Amino acid sequence: MLSLKMTRDLSIVLLVSLLLLSCSRKNGLSQSSSASPDSINTADSSKAGPAAAASIRLTYEQRQGKHLYTKYCAVCHGEEGKGDGFNSYNLDPKPRNFTDTIYMSAFSDTRLLETIREGGRGVNKSPLMPSWEGRLKRVEIEYVVFYIRRFAKSN
Amino acid sequence: MNKLRLYFAISSVIFLFVLAISPLKDFFSEWKGYQHEYNGMIKEMPQRIKPAEIGIKQIWVRKLDKVDRCNTCHLGLEEKALAGAKEPFRTHPHIYHNLEEFGCTTCHEGQGPATSYKESIGKVEYWDKPIFPREYMEASCGKCHKEQLVRQAPILSLGRKLIEEYNCVGCHKLEGYQRQWVPSLNGIGSKVNRPWLVNWLKNPKAYFSTTKMPNFQFSDEEVNILADFLMTLTSFPNNATLEPLPSQLVQVSGSRKTAMEELGSTRLREARCISCHPINGKGGYVATDLGKVASKVKQEWLYNYIKNPKHLQPNVEMPRFRFNENELAGVVAYMKSEYVDFDMAEPSAHTPDPQFYEKGLALVKKYNCSGCHELGNMKSYGELGPELSYVGSKKMYEIDFGQSGIDQSLSLYLFTKLKSPHIFSSKMKMPNYELGDEEAQAIVVALLGNTNEPIPEELIIRQKPVSTYAPQGEFGKLVNDLACFGCHTMFGHGRVVGTDLTLEASMAKREWIEHYFKVPYSLRPILTERMPNLFLSDDEIKTLVDYMEKVFIGDSLAIDITMNETTIAKGKLLYNERYACYACHQINGKGGFVGPPLDKVASRLQPGWIFHWLKNPQAYKPQSIEPNNNLTDQEAEALTAYLMTLH
Repeated sequence: MLSLKMTRDLSIVLLVSLLLLSCSRKNGLSQSSSASPDSINTADSSKAGPAAAASIRLTYEQRQGKHLYTKYCAVCHGEEGKGDGFNSYNLDPKPRNFTDTIYMSAFSDTRLLETIREGGRGVNKSPLMPSWEGRLKRVEIEYVVFYIRRFAKSN
Repeated sequence: MNKLRLYFAISSVIFLFVLAISPLKDFFSEWKGYQHEYNGMIKEMPQRIKPAEIGIKQIWVRKLDKVDRCNTCHLGLEEKALAGAKEPFRTHPHIYHNLEEFGCTTCHEGQGPATSYKESIGKVEYWDKPIFPREYMEASCGKCHKEQLVRQAPILSLGRKLIEEYNCVGCHKLEGYQRQWVPSLNGIGSKVNRPWLVNWLKNPKAYFSTTKMPNFQFSDEEVNILADFLMTLTSFPNNATLEPLPSQLVQVSGSRKTAMEELGSTRLREARCISCHPINGKGGYVATDLGKVASKVKQEWLYNYIKNPKHLQPNVEMPRFRFNENELAGVVAYMKSEYVDFDMAEPSAHTPDPQFYEKGLALVKKYNCSGCHELGNMKSYGELGPELSYVGSKKMYEIDFGQSGIDQSLSLYLFTKLKSPHIFSSKMKMPNYELGDEEAQAIVVALLGNTNEPIPEELIIRQKPVSTYAPQGEFGKLVNDLACFGCHTMFGHGRVVGTDLTLEASMAKREWIEHYFKVPYSLRPILTERMPNLFLSDDEIKTLVDYMEKVFIGDSLAIDITMNETTIAKGKLLYNERYACYACHQINGKGGFVGPPLDKVASRLQPGWIFHWLKNPQAYKPQSIEPNNNLTDQEAEALTAYLMTLH
């Protein structure tokens, strides 16, 4: 009788401990997995150290935009967007200075996009700004807009 | 018995509790929280956006064998109105692939089927493909886009260009890259001075700051042994020999010497050596720096080399300038007097190691000099370094991080390795290329794209086969002798420094081309790489232009332009008012500097070319930045008519 009771007791204790054990294992696992992403996040920002040249932290759109801007726009508008590219001194009126925060904030994205697409002649501005509709796809112009917006923000 | 009941009661409570864990976990799951947040957010927005149905969503990409549940939480991926929303609801930037067809982890990596932030985006143990850091994203484009220039992936394209330029295939196995021409080391003992060689081996960039030769970080002992070994290589390829210096150069002094040097200086400038060769860092980028070359090479070699470059360095892309004996002597004399390194460090005196030859040979083999340079009959140890064909699929356990203590990820490993090759183990043989951060990063992006993922063949875009166009006959001989392919492309073959010559005869007029060979004036004032004056004879020019007129021509480009006063006036108006061409082009000193000046354009270009060019410039020169104005035929014709009046 006693032995039977003992075995029952024992089996219950075993069962409970097993359950507890399984729970604790679960906890253990989730703990370890929860620890790693945090360490990754911190590592991400510290890792940015060696690779953090200014251009590298650009978003996808800005990166694409930068590439296009440097190729097509910088000759007049300047690498830094100040409207001082090497060709600018031949031009009258001068190319737009994108770092002018006040002017740029009054200029909506849609209008900026329209100006690039249709050129100065399409939006009643100086025809010196050509239309890029035939050369750049709509998406590419959007990328350029994203990039141009950075110039005013950085000031 | 009571005790037993108590046990039973406790255990059933525990059992119930354990049973409840799963449904509770599901009820309070992270993704549901995001979905409710999303629905709440879009309700407050002015635009009407379809609310999300609560439930797990997934994209199954059958052909790539991917199941991605990212869109369970990233709910606004295709909603344009959410471009500025916070993550995870922001619109995906516009790319040329749609979500249903390619899924998410195809490009981003990470654990697709996971439904919690930590498991999908965080680093999970034993999951070898953690999400790509943003700066390496373009690597994924490289999985399918195998062509060298991917228009939408500038970093990837730069990386591939750099891998080719730095000749990584000299030591690593890697598909799809061309071997670069590198100077042959045969004959180097008859070419350079030993002090220069010692300094060069210690640090190549000290002599020529943009050289592609990396720094092997040799010890002083190794440098001396290698220098001694290399100085024994005195015979040139193809058994070429050096002619002795002409008498003008040997026995000359006083005013005659000054006059000769002056002649040399003039010819050097006229020949525009600086278009390809920088001089103390200023000038072209195609060839080596000449600023201190007189301290580097022996005068005899210099004389023979300029006389016929390909004789001593087969396949070098240097033209044979048609200098006469006097001019040649003058050029050499001028270089000898002017391009001297007065600060060159004199290496300390040393006694050669008695076994320098064997030891030198062993060093050459160890560092695989013949991977890039031609060196005796030695074979290249093309697979000295690890194969890089599938480096993007390397598992973490295959990588030895050594004592570096860096965060363990493949991208960071490659980046660190490129920046400081010996950081993981001092036994590494890889030399230091002294790359900038952006360059190193671009190369890592290109490397990470080399994976062994099974990708269906129809999705892979391959590099176009390399053009093997090689002209024959007299023209072919001249093209080879003048190294035209070093700057110009013809039918897809050659380097893109100068203009593409494939349609040259349809573009330019015969008289203009002939004159241009004689006086290669600068068409675009802003260019640094200008056409050299090769001092060709009239017969040679005739051969070249005759061939061009037969071969470099597009029959469909010739058209007749009606030249009457109305069209000309209309064209002039279009030029000055509507399209403001003067923003980039000059006529009579008025206008910009971006495009070539259009004075006398009528005597330079063919009318048919102007017409077709204006209609679609990039069809003929894909790299051109001329805007395509979508001109109508009438407009293009009017503009052409106007330009053809400018003689």
